[in-house]
This record gives sequence, C-alpha cells and structure tokens, in this order.
Amino acid sequence: MISLSYYIACAVVLYIIGLYCLASKRNMIKLVMGLEILVNAAHVSFIAFSAYRSVGYIDPLGHSVVIMSISFAGCVTALGLVIVTYAYKHYKTLDVRKLRRLKW
Amino acid sequence: MFTPPLNALLVFMVGTPAIGWVIHKKGYPKVQGIYASAGLLVAAYFLYGLSREVSEKGIVLITGPLPFNPPLGACLQIDVFSIFMTMLYILIGLFTTVYSIKFMERDSGLTEYYTLMLGMVAGMTGVVFAGDFFTLFVFWELMCLTSYALVAFRKQKWESIEAGFKYLIMSAAGSATILLAMSFLYGMTGTLNFAALASRLANTSSEGWLYITLALVIVGFGIKAAIVPFHTWLPDAHSAAPSPVSAMLSGVMVPTGACVLIRILLLVFSSAQPAWQMTLAIFAVFTMFGGNLMALLQNDLKRLLAFSTIAHMGYIVFGFAIASPEGLAASLFHIVNHAVMKSLLFLCAGAFIRQTKTRDLRKLRGIGKTMPMTSAAFTIGTIAIAAFPPLNGFWSEMMIITAGVRAEMIIFSALMLANMALSVVYYFRLIRIIILERPTKVSKKATKAPVSMLIPILVLAFLCIFIGAYPVPYIDASSKAAEAMLNIGAYIDAVLRGL
Repeated sequence: MISLSYYIACAVVLYIIGLYCLASKRNMIKLVMGLEILVNAAHVSFIAFSAYRSVGYIDPLGHSVVIMSISFAGCVTALGLVIVTYAYKHYKTLDVRKLRRLKW
Repeated sequence: MFTPPLNALLVFMVGTPAIGWVIHKKGYPKVQGIYASAGLLVAAYFLYGLSREVSEKGIVLITGPLPFNPPLGACLQIDVFSIFMTMLYILIGLFTTVYSIKFMERDSGLTEYYTLMLGMVAGMTGVVFAGDFFTLFVFWELMCLTSYALVAFRKQKWESIEAGFKYLIMSAAGSATILLAMSFLYGMTGTLNFAALASRLANTSSEGWLYITLALVIVGFGIKAAIVPFHTWLPDAHSAAPSPVSAMLSGVMVPTGACVLIRILLLVFSSAQPAWQMTLAIFAVFTMFGGNLMALLQNDLKRLLAFSTIAHMGYIVFGFAIASPEGLAASLFHIVNHAVMKSLLFLCAGAFIRQTKTRDLRKLRGIGKTMPMTSAAFTIGTIAIAAFPPLNGFWSEMMIITAGVRAEMIIFSALMLANMALSVVYYFRLIRIIILERPTKVSKKATKAPVSMLIPILVLAFLCIFIGAYPVPYIDASSKAAEAMLNIGAYIDAVLRGL
C-alpha cells in the first residue's frame, strides 16, 4: 500500500503549482484554471485522508465535503468566466496586464 | 431544517426571482426591494424568538434530518455571539435594502440584485451559526459567491469588471486555502466538528502540522478580513461596487472574516494561543498603519473610506488578539459601531455619487450647501469614526486600548493610539471638503437626496449619537457575546454531552 505521505506531498505540490499559476500567468482564463488547481489540491488531500482513516473502510465525511466543494468550485469558475467574457468584450484582450487602470 | 431566521432568509431569497417574474409580466416597479425588506423583517422577527431561546438555554444545537448526531453529522450551534452578530447583519441588511429601492432604480437586473443581497445576509448568518467546518464552508461559499456577483454587478463598467475579477481570484484562493486547512485538521483528528476538534486538538502530539494549519487558517480568513498583506482586493472592490453593496461589504462582511477567524482560533487552536496572539497583534499593527497611511493619499471618496475600513479592521483584529474577555468585548462592540458608522458613510457617499455622478473629492467640494441633510449625517459619521468623545466610535476604541494596556500589550496600544491620531487628519479633511469649502460647479448643480434614501441615512446617524450617549446596554451585550465565545467548555459539552 502506498504511504499516505505521498498523497499529501502531491496535494502540497499541487497547491504550490496553483499559487505559482495565480502569481505568474497573464491570461485571465489561466488564472481561473489556477484557482481550480488550488481547490483540487485541497480535494486530493481530503480524499487521501478519508481513505487512510482506517483499514478496509473509507470515511464518508471527506467525500461529502469534496462533493459539495466541487459544486462550489464550479460556481466560482462559472462566475469567473462570466467576468472574463465581459472583460474580453470591453478590452478585446485576455491579458490581465492590460487591466491596469486599477493597481493590480 | 435550519433555524427559523435562516430559513426565512433562504425562502425569501429563493422567492425573489418568482416575484421578479410576476413584476416583469405586470410591470410594478420597486416591488422586489419591498419584498426583500419584508424578508429581512420576517427574519428579524424569527431571530427575536431564537434569541429568547438562546438566552434561556445558553446554546441551541440544531442537527440535521439524518440519524447522525453532531460529531458525525453536520450541525448548527447557536450561542449569544451568533445572535449578536446576526442582529447586526439583519439591521444593516435592512437599511441597505431600503436604501437600494431608490438608489438602484435606474439599474437593470434588480431581481438578481435583491436575490444576491438576501443570499449574502443568509450566508453570513449561516457562517456565525455553523457548528462544524462543513456547514461553515457551505455558508462561507454562499457569502463569497454572492459578494463576487454583487461587486461585479454593474457589468458594463470597466471598473466593476476589474475589481470583481481581482476580488474573485484573491478571495477564491483564500477559500481554497481554508479548504486545505480543513483537510489537514480532518487528517489530524478525523472530524470537522468544532467541539470535537477542540477536545481532540487540546493535547495533540503533531505540533508541526498544527502550526502549518494555523498559518493556512490565518491566511485564508485573513484575505476576507483584509489583514494587510492580503488586503489589496478591498479598496478596489469597495469603490467599484454599488454604494449599498459597499456598505454591506465594509460594515458586516469584512468583520465576519475576523469574527470567524477568532472563533476558530479560540476553539480549535487553543493549544497554540501565545503563537497566534502575537501573530495577530503584529498583523493588526501592519493593518492599521497600511490603512491609515494609504487613506491619507486618496482623492476618491469611496476609496478613502475603503482604506479607513482596513485601518478599523486593524483595531478590531488587535482587540481579538488580546483574547481577554475585555478585549473581545471591546472588539465586538467596535464591530457594531464600525458597521453603523461605515455603512452610514458609504450610504451618504452613495447619495453624493447619485446626485453628482462623481466620486472625486476635488469635484465634491462644498456639497454641504446643496445637500444639507446628507452632509450633516456624513459629518456626524465622520466625527464618530474619528473617535470624538460624545459619539459611539470613541467608547469602543478606548475599550480596545484599555484592554490592551491591562493585558500588558502596551506597545501595541500606543501604536493604535498613534494611528487614531493619524486618522483624524483625513477625517477632518473630509469634513472640510464637504462642509467648509466653496461649492464647485458640480456640487452647485446637485439636488437633495430622495426621502427613501435619507431615512436609512438619518436613522444610522441617530444610532451613532444614541449609542454614543447611552453605550451601556451595547457594552453589556458585547460582553455577554465575548463570554459566550470564551466559554469553550460549555460549547464542547453541548455537542459531546450526548456521547
């Protein structure tokens, strides 16, 4: 059986990738994807912990949290993409550096 | 299901689109706003019943319909603190909704607006009612999602789009951080219930993970609470949102982040108390200085008020960082005062903006001559927020400083006092610009604000004076709420007694 620590390391790496994506990418859609990666890091961690609670049985609490959270992440992504669409209509670009009238 | 006030809010929230559809067919204007206000009044009535139940029993525990008792299933756990905060949410929500009826009449999509507004109040109510992390997260996301949509509500303007996108990215990253912290807590203990977490983490062996989780929780909730390194979304979101939404965001939603943070820190992380106390105090000082120094430089009315919100979040977080009964009571009292004062200021700013179409302070000079009532209320709010003795801001800020001195955090208290002196500069600049200077072309043309917008403004201004003149019952209420927050034993017993 694979050790739990590998899964947790995977989750932490995903989280760092998500933060890097938010910090460095310029395309607005890629920023929304970065958010998805961040949320999925937490999901991986939840599922791993719930699978390793005891041998031969999986704790349903972690799974129910993850299912709810997936739906919320979907809502956030949808809302984010709506705003991206309006930004694109307004600026004719997806480059977040062009949205510079507020100090980013 | 949930508790009656929360049920009422959710039912009215879901009912608003139906009302909006009927209006669309028949063509009555303004009905959605009146319907939403009625929803908040009904919720306030139910909250009164619930508050009597809470004052009898101490803690009311609401479990789900499934045959699982709280440490396994989700639950709502309502104590005096929850009731205290919910009263504030419904009060400010009612004022902003009544104000919106006239303020938003020229916008399209009003049905969605009132649905989102009620959803935000319901989300905040659920956040302070929640008895476990799962329920907290569900309502937290409800609050966050509605506020993203409300900030980006005027979607034709570039400013709302940019501010909404920035707010969405930062705040959703914060929510993901909270989720990761939740998963670590779940991994350490196998539960998400606050009471069970508190009893299992009181003497944990995995210190390292506890501190990592603590850092994640502070960052995640700190983004919502606008603690200074994570505050950058706030000035943009507050100045781009419609003014009633700014009043809701600044008055109640941002303090909710701090309240939930301190509730979780007190309950779950009690074994690491010295560490988070010092961290929060240092963050609080940065927040005060950041907010006040940036506010000095602003020429945009709403942006100035937004930075002043950051400074006040610094005071509130400092009061929480003291973590003594006095400090918590002072901070909760300051949350009430700040909500009243800041929503008053934002609503007045909205009235100025509606009549003049500008937020630039240089163009708003001398508007007191043409809009006397609004300007008088604005001046009262400014004097109150600058902490001058007869008004309400003075009492709570002095309480925070006294509590800090008694808890031997003298350096931090002195820094807060210095900040209060610093903030007087820009508050007086505001008063001078609004009242004393000669009117510009723009402000000469302004007309008086409509009556239905003036009523909430004047009631809030009256509340500023009233709480200032007679603060004792409010201090008592916040002391009781602080006691309930610190009475961790009773909170744990309420859930685990049945086992």
